[in-house]
Amino acid sequence: MPKSIWNGTVTFGMVNVPIKLYSATESKTVHFSEVHAKDGARIEHRRICPKEDREVPYKEIVKGYEVSAGKYVVLEKDEVKAAAGDRGKVIHLDEFVRAAEIDPVFYDRTYYVGSRDEADAFRLLREALRKTELAGIGRFTFHDREYLVALRAQDDVLILHTLRFHDEVVTADELELQPGARKPSKQEIEMAGQLIKSMTADFKPDDYEDTYRDAVLDLIKRKAKGEEIDLVAQEEPAHGDDLAAALEASLAGARS
Amino acid sequence: MARALWSGSLSFGLVNVPVQLFSAVRDLDYHFNQLHEKDKVPIEQRRFCSKEDAEVTWEEVAHAYDLDGKQVVISDEELGSVQPRKTRTIEIEAFVELDQVDPIYFDHPYFLAPAGDSEGTLRAYRLLVETMASQDRVALGRFVMRTKEYLVAVRAREGALALTTMLFHDEVRAAKDVPTGGKKPSPKQLDGAVAIIQELATDWDPEHYRDCYRERLRRVIDAKRKRKTIEVPTPEKEPSPVPDLMDALERTLERLRNGEDPRGEESDGNSRGNGSRRRSSGSDGSRKRAKSSR
Repeated sequence: MPKSIWNGTVTFGMVNVPIKLYSATESKTVHFSEVHAKDGARIEHRRICPKEDREVPYKEIVKGYEVSAGKYVVLEKDEVKAAAGDRGKVIHLDEFVRAAEIDPVFYDRTYYVGSRDEADAFRLLREALRKTELAGIGRFTFHDREYLVALRAQDDVLILHTLRFHDEVVTADELELQPGARKPSKQEIEMAGQLIKSMTADFKPDDYEDTYRDAVLDLIKRKAKGEEIDLVAQEEPAHGDDLAAALEASLAGARS
Repeated sequence: MARALWSGSLSFGLVNVPVQLFSAVRDLDYHFNQLHEKDKVPIEQRRFCSKEDAEVTWEEVAHAYDLDGKQVVISDEELGSVQPRKTRTIEIEAFVELDQVDPIYFDHPYFLAPAGDSEGTLRAYRLLVETMASQDRVALGRFVMRTKEYLVAVRAREGALALTTMLFHDEVRAAKDVPTGGKKPSPKQLDGAVAIIQELATDWDPEHYRDCYRERLRRVIDAKRKRKTIEVPTPEKEPSPVPDLMDALERTLERLRNGEDPRGEESDGNSRGNGSRRRSSGSDGSRKRAKSSR
């Protein structure tokens, strides 16, 4: 049984849905710890007051917001909490939007939502979201911070995405792309289209292994056995300028 | 435009498009420093050897992995040796239909912009954008940034190429153990819930949602600066489950029909609502609800 990370209530209208929240993702990146090269002892990060040149216990530390160089506004823990708002353990779904309309660029973290206590309301909400293909939009307070969230149905569970705010998302206009001097020709568009079709497959997430993670873990095992590690160089591919010829050659390759 | 995070080429069959990578999100959070309460001096994090109890410089630090209780030290050069050879290329391996990729796999969003302004580069870039946009497909590929290899999805967004790093399948947890119990709703209950949701349906417009947390934090900082008292709000009480689902659905629908707040609260929309579009706030007059446009 997975461990829930938050208990609360989702509401739509006057219907209250008790829920539990679970992490939907976990990073499998290989993490290293820092050690002292000389003796292999663990490295500790200690908090030092440079003025007194001594270690400072956590309870003597406060949060400071730098308003100008070297000038800080100090906030107590309670005062930081004031920014969390008053929503507590409730997510009110006051609006619903078509789930497919939300560009994935807005999705930040993902959680699974499961039922708690009176589970009938949970099932009702899930089936109604599935039927309408809509996602509920609300606000969610987690660790003293408020997030905008979208709640959508997927299979038997509900999925909660925290959403980025519009001003956090960079638009393509900001890239200031230069328009190409010449539009791609009809022939090029056709060939590129064919090439994409010939390379199209069903998305099977299991087909993609984290080969880098595997290589790092393998390296660690080899090193543990006392093997000598080969250090190799990297190379860069050349790129041709004749677009049509490259497309044609790729298509020929894809057909064979 | 910000500095490119990476540059190389997007490789698609035998076509190579020189590209630069930019983040598609910006950090607008307020960041705090840790201060020593007594003297308000910023705290420094320093590395100490736990055995010698003495400060250690960065040059003396090595990286270790705990392999079943055995400590294995790996050098940066050794780590570099297992990186794939072509680190300057995003190699497209396949194309898939956009709607087959659950957004749960999407991690960090970026943009790819053409690198340089040669005619060939700009045309190849544009060709990819136009073709992918017209087919609603995403390209899946891999590339190495800094020390990690990423699985990425490249798609057309707003006339540009958007790249998103992706999670690997074993980084997405199975949902099968998440409790989803409950009785199947009666057709009448489902109709009621669907009617409420459709009544509250609207178009997705990200600009209508403000980061209230960021705004409140700004106000807290300003108030503190002016030495005003900061009031910590009492969290809203968590509502209890409703004893009778059908009754709650009917009462909600009735309130919606009367143009009242569907949650049965008085109009305190600014503090408890999502911000700008509650009926009770009166500011949604210009927006069409999705239901009425269908």
